[in-house]
Amino acid sequence: MTRKKVKLAYILNDSARKATFKKRKKGLMKKVSELSTLCGIDACAIIYSPYDLQPEVWPSSIGVQRVLSKFRRMPELEQSKKMVNQESFLKQRIQKAKDQLTKQRKDNREKEMTQLMFQYLSSDKTMQNISMLDLNEMAWLIDQYLKDINRRVEKLSKNGQGQSQMVAPTMVTNAVAKIEDSGQGSHGCHVLDMNMDAMHKQHWFMNLMNNSGGDEAPPPLGDVNQQNGFWPNPFFP
Amino acid sequence: MLKKKSSLGRQKIPIEKIPKKSHLQVTFSKRRSGLFKKASELCTLCGVEIAIVVFSPADKAFSFGHPEVESIVDRYLSRNLPQESSALQLVEAHRNANVRDLNAQLTQLLNHLTIEKKQGEEIDHVRKARQMQNWWENPIEELGLNELVQLKVSIDDLKKNIGKIASKCMMEQSNMFPPNIGANGFGRYNNFENKQGVGINIASTLPNAYNYLDFRHGYL
Repeated sequence: MTRKKVKLAYILNDSARKATFKKRKKGLMKKVSELSTLCGIDACAIIYSPYDLQPEVWPSSIGVQRVLSKFRRMPELEQSKKMVNQESFLKQRIQKAKDQLTKQRKDNREKEMTQLMFQYLSSDKTMQNISMLDLNEMAWLIDQYLKDINRRVEKLSKNGQGQSQMVAPTMVTNAVAKIEDSGQGSHGCHVLDMNMDAMHKQHWFMNLMNNSGGDEAPPPLGDVNQQNGFWPNPFFP
Repeated sequence: MLKKKSSLGRQKIPIEKIPKKSHLQVTFSKRRSGLFKKASELCTLCGVEIAIVVFSPADKAFSFGHPEVESIVDRYLSRNLPQESSALQLVEAHRNANVRDLNAQLTQLLNHLTIEKKQGEEIDHVRKARQMQNWWENPIEELGLNELVQLKVSIDDLKKNIGKIASKCMMEQSNMFPPNIGANGFGRYNNFENKQGVGINIASTLPNAYNYLDFRHGYL
């Protein structure tokens, strides 16, 4: 079977059109039949073509009569509720495609902004050239992310879980960190091998400060340690 | 790289009644839609007239007809000859023109959709690669408590910095513009556009509830 992409327009060539008709009609009837069997439902199809005086039908003359009678017995409203022609059918499909497109664009936008956020975080990018619009979105995104983090932290704290579920291979702690908060278990003493490159990336504070104009001196480490015991040691150049 | 399957894809199934009710309902929905699509194509390509009537598992009637379900059904039941009149033919021609336009519109939309989907996959791909290097970029659910805390500190900091940049922008703006400016007050700031990475600078599709002014007041 050829898989050429067919342009959706009336086929001008008579023989091509007739050939297409025969093939597709056969396929259509097959599909109706399958639908009926797979789902155990009543169905019928009627096709009038210039090639035949009599219409082609599925399942059979009697079968069609039966289904149409059932159809006609229904109240008018029920008959027309899900009735479509080409125009209305296409409009439905168009609306659905539009909705999907909007959603996909929204998701992609959010993904890209998240990516950008991480790039700022590891100072792969500077914030110098950000536009007003992006600024807004970034602020919102950051807040959402913080919310999620906080939620998760709360959840983990409740379960009394302090354990790292992930190995952070390049975090360095100079000394055994004293854990100020409520006995979370033994996880403060990672003394790991350093990877210099990765460490450079993780000088978040330093880099962020520089990027925003270098107005401020890096915070004294006392500040940092107030948060929680596990901040990496002063490995700033 | 393991690719998570979003659906089972095309699988061969035996043509007999589907045992599971939920599966049956989904199949009906999809196949009915596909059937109508094929019927629509047949009408456009070959200029034929069709009517299809199907009943859903819940006994709701779905029908497709070209030009109309009603006319085809009536014609069949009463064994009438088709009615040809110049008026009808005109209506028909007009309709077909509409259908052509609609088809073109749909095709274009579907193309855009494909592009966007590909873009999404690209972004996912890049993110996964980054996650190998940077543990903090992994989903929050996969991070442990101490990691989360560290991450939080950094992001808090990022937030502060964004606030600073925002206020800097605001100050520069108010210095450069007199109070009553034309429609596009941001006109001169087009070169503020983010030149790297994020190529899209369209109206935000994220909830635009954020006025960074408020943000600034809240956090600085």
